[in-house]
Amino acid sequence: MHTRRDILQGMIISIGGAPLLSACGGVAQIVPSSEGGMRFFSNEELQLVSRVSDLIIPRTETPGALDVNVPGFLDGLMAEWASADTQRNQHRNLRELGMQLGRDFVELDEATAESRLTSLDAQAFDTSASQYSAYRSWKGMITQAYFATEEGRLQEQQWVAVPGHWDPSVEI
Amino acid sequence: MTDFDAIVVGSGMSGGWSAKELCERGLKVLVLERGTEIKPERDYVDQLRPWQEKNLDRISEDEIEKHYFRQYPGVAYAVKESNKHFWVKDDEHPYETVEGTQYDWLRGYHTAGRSIMWSRQSYRMGPQDFTANKEEGVAIDWPVRYDEIKPWYDYVEEFAGIAGNKDGLEQLPDGVYQPAFELTDAEKSFKSKIETAFPGRNVIAARIAHITQVTEEQRALGRTNCQSQNRCHFGCSFKAYFSSLHATLPAAERTGNMTIVHNAIVQSLDYDPATNRVSGVRIVDAVTNEHRTYTSRLIFLNASAIASAMILLQSKSEIFPNGLANSSDQVGRNLMDHISGAGASGIVHGFDNLKVFGRRPSGGIYIPRYANITENDKPYTRGFGYQGGASPLGNAGGQLAGIGKSFKEAHKAPGPWRINIGAFGEQLPNPNNRVTLHPTKTDKWGNPQALFNVSYGENEHTMLEEARKDAVAMLEAAGCTDINSNPVNLTVPGNRIHEMGSARMGNDPTNSVLNKWCQTHDVPNLFITDGAFMTSAACQNPSISYMAFTARACDYAVKKLEENLL
Repeated sequence: MHTRRDILQGMIISIGGAPLLSACGGVAQIVPSSEGGMRFFSNEELQLVSRVSDLIIPRTETPGALDVNVPGFLDGLMAEWASADTQRNQHRNLRELGMQLGRDFVELDEATAESRLTSLDAQAFDTSASQYSAYRSWKGMITQAYFATEEGRLQEQQWVAVPGHWDPSVEI
Repeated sequence: MTDFDAIVVGSGMSGGWSAKELCERGLKVLVLERGTEIKPERDYVDQLRPWQEKNLDRISEDEIEKHYFRQYPGVAYAVKESNKHFWVKDDEHPYETVEGTQYDWLRGYHTAGRSIMWSRQSYRMGPQDFTANKEEGVAIDWPVRYDEIKPWYDYVEEFAGIAGNKDGLEQLPDGVYQPAFELTDAEKSFKSKIETAFPGRNVIAARIAHITQVTEEQRALGRTNCQSQNRCHFGCSFKAYFSSLHATLPAAERTGNMTIVHNAIVQSLDYDPATNRVSGVRIVDAVTNEHRTYTSRLIFLNASAIASAMILLQSKSEIFPNGLANSSDQVGRNLMDHISGAGASGIVHGFDNLKVFGRRPSGGIYIPRYANITENDKPYTRGFGYQGGASPLGNAGGQLAGIGKSFKEAHKAPGPWRINIGAFGEQLPNPNNRVTLHPTKTDKWGNPQALFNVSYGENEHTMLEEARKDAVAMLEAAGCTDINSNPVNLTVPGNRIHEMGSARMGNDPTNSVLNKWCQTHDVPNLFITDGAFMTSAACQNPSISYMAFTARACDYAVKKLEENLL
């Protein structure tokens, strides 16, 4: 059984900017999109996004963000979808996020990192102040990427591709 | 001897109906479509799963800037990476606006046109809509009254398949409906509270062109019931929603009387002064640049209100120096759309123990027009309807507080219920709102570019301000909290994609282009049955009216053709 940190370290070494999210049996299939590895993230950015992704959407009884290669997907998304302006803005957002979380964030133990991110998250959702827009932007992308995966959509959200009928009132 | 009995220009919402009706009456019909061929089996992407979509189905920002700079801002909710082939590239199909004005010309150039992209709201015009111009002294009177078009609404609704209820409202007449999509409990509660608090206002189920109880006629065309995917903008593999591609064009094709030619951009109509008839349709092939002329005894323009007007304006002759069938100088004028940009949303309480199954297409509720119908104290004329619905808020795209397991778990819950309503209002006809031919700019085939000069008047602005206030008042009366109602942001003309009025019908040939049969006053074998014929816009989504008037016009035209009167 790999620990989350094992998975994280492994991904940082081997990950590529996969343009399509793909996972099989909860294990990410990583498809490097360039020989050199990342197309958008610097190594430091990848470590930060991976750590944040893992804390926001950890592995539980279902795969987590790292299991389905959210950081790799976001690298591809930024490389392929984003304009040069958006890329610059998102690099700036990541620098800002890194400063808010502290230079040592990716080295922190699980509990401390979780505590620090929880604190930032609480502040970010307690105010609409723009100083938290970097975090909210990346949290949004991480979450959207995760729930666009087969695992996130089917296992977490019980999504049905072809419902077949409409029922307007289902008791939970 | 002509090449065909009839030529239909355009294969979209109304062109499909022209093709069907004329073919079924035994005419040999040529359909000219300016765009490429769409094959559902090849081009629909509704079965694409979220994890198969590239880049979260976002079109790259560079591509938007290059190709979709007008389309995308106008309809970002519908234009995605996987379905962008349904929308024209702005740089390939340019147009211009007069300085100080804006216009969204949102188009689909392919088989079935925008009938594969519409939102399928299908409401009849009411008796008041045909008399308002006359009663208010606005523009000109409609030459048709509701009772005359009613049987044609019945006819097209039965074939198309409209889900809806019979609500018994005079201003929004009932039609031939299949079972409606049932309201959610929150919508039922909203309905009850609104109808109690505001007597004269009604909340009804949306009337939408999706099959819910398939008929034998629809099965014979390969259509079946809606499967509640709500992937309509990406096509419908079940052929449950109405489009020309699923319904009218196949019906025309099975007669053996239809020929359809793609990539055929109509440049002008040939006019024969000796017979006072259109004698030919000149096209340029969009791919080969080859020029051809087709001939027929009867012409139906269904190219869309803007394109049909432009074809007439491009068809100049000694008799018609300002464009064919334009002796009234009304071609291209009175261009209308519907207006939006006012509404409200709020959280509805008491339904947290409920969720929905399936994804209902095209919205849930409709609040029919009450302004100047049951309430006559308004600082504006005409009125608006609201479209909307109440559903669980669901996944908020990461904009929920929390991290870790609890955050992940939160996405399994449907979340609080939110209701939203948005107004669709009537724009008054104004002859100064018009499309003309640009004096110098052309497209890559040498056709003049469209030049738009459209702006809204005081009535439209006032109406939407009041619509916003009314929306907030209704949500408050329904007990909603967290009510959000942004300041009115009036939609850009054209943005609702309901272009109308550019060749209006009327009784007087000096101030209208078409007679009550959608036949041009000037040239007997020329009919226009797209949105161009509309003498006023009403506030209802217009497609079902285009269908009804088209079927009626075809019936008339064939009879006159048989009597050798065309």
